[in-house]
Amino acid sequence: MSAEHRRRVAIPHLFWWFMFAQGGGIAALFIPVHILVQGILGPLGIVPVVDRHYDTWISILGNPIVKLYLLVIIAVPFFHFAHRLRYLLVDFGVKAAKSLPAQVIFYGGAVVVTGVTIWVLLTTAPISLG
Amino acid sequence: MPAAWWTRNRHYFLYVVREFTALPIALWMLWFLVEIKRAGDGPASYRPHGSTGFVIFSVVCLFFALYHSVTFLSLAGVIIHLKVLDRPVPSRLIVLTMFGLWALASVVIAAVLIGFAR
Repeated sequence: MSAEHRRRVAIPHLFWWFMFAQGGGIAALFIPVHILVQGILGPLGIVPVVDRHYDTWISILGNPIVKLYLLVIIAVPFFHFAHRLRYLLVDFGVKAAKSLPAQVIFYGGAVVVTGVTIWVLLTTAPISLG
Repeated sequence: MPAAWWTRNRHYFLYVVREFTALPIALWMLWFLVEIKRAGDGPASYRPHGSTGFVIFSVVCLFFALYHSVTFLSLAGVIIHLKVLDRPVPSRLIVLTMFGLWALASVVIAAVLIGFAR
């Protein structure tokens, strides 16, 4: 195998491992507090939460920094989830999970989630710095 | 390999639980994306989720999310190798720093989510 060929193989590998690691870290650092506050404390009425009222929710969703933050915490972890779930199937003996179509479905799914997240964030609330 | 290999050893079982955490967290994040999208439909039809079923779903997802956080951040000491002034940073310090960052991020995000509410 030539050095050039090895480089071609390694770069996509590096990219997917980078996304896997970053996705895992982002999910670990940022997601639990969203589930706790927006999924439990807010719905139970224990604390007021920004997404419980339309005006506060739409206002904060218009902030470009919030949009970027939401894109990162929603989209990037899906590359981690895709990798973990594909290898979980491999561990359970599903040989097809190693195949190229399976890779396209799992990692392609993460790409689709990224695209949908960008579309949702750009179309839900107009960008506003106010 | 037998189908039930992961039930025969505690470490195997916990490994499978760790890998499985991806599914409930992914489902909750997809709900979160839907919740953001629903805000775009206008104030008249906006109803944030608040059913008992949704809270139970969130409690289950929180358990898996916390398990992911603890296991993933604990691995930081194995994965990350840093040198300061040519001396290696102890892995325990790296793990403590990651847990500290997790606590700090959680406090800041909770403060924003609650502080911007009315």
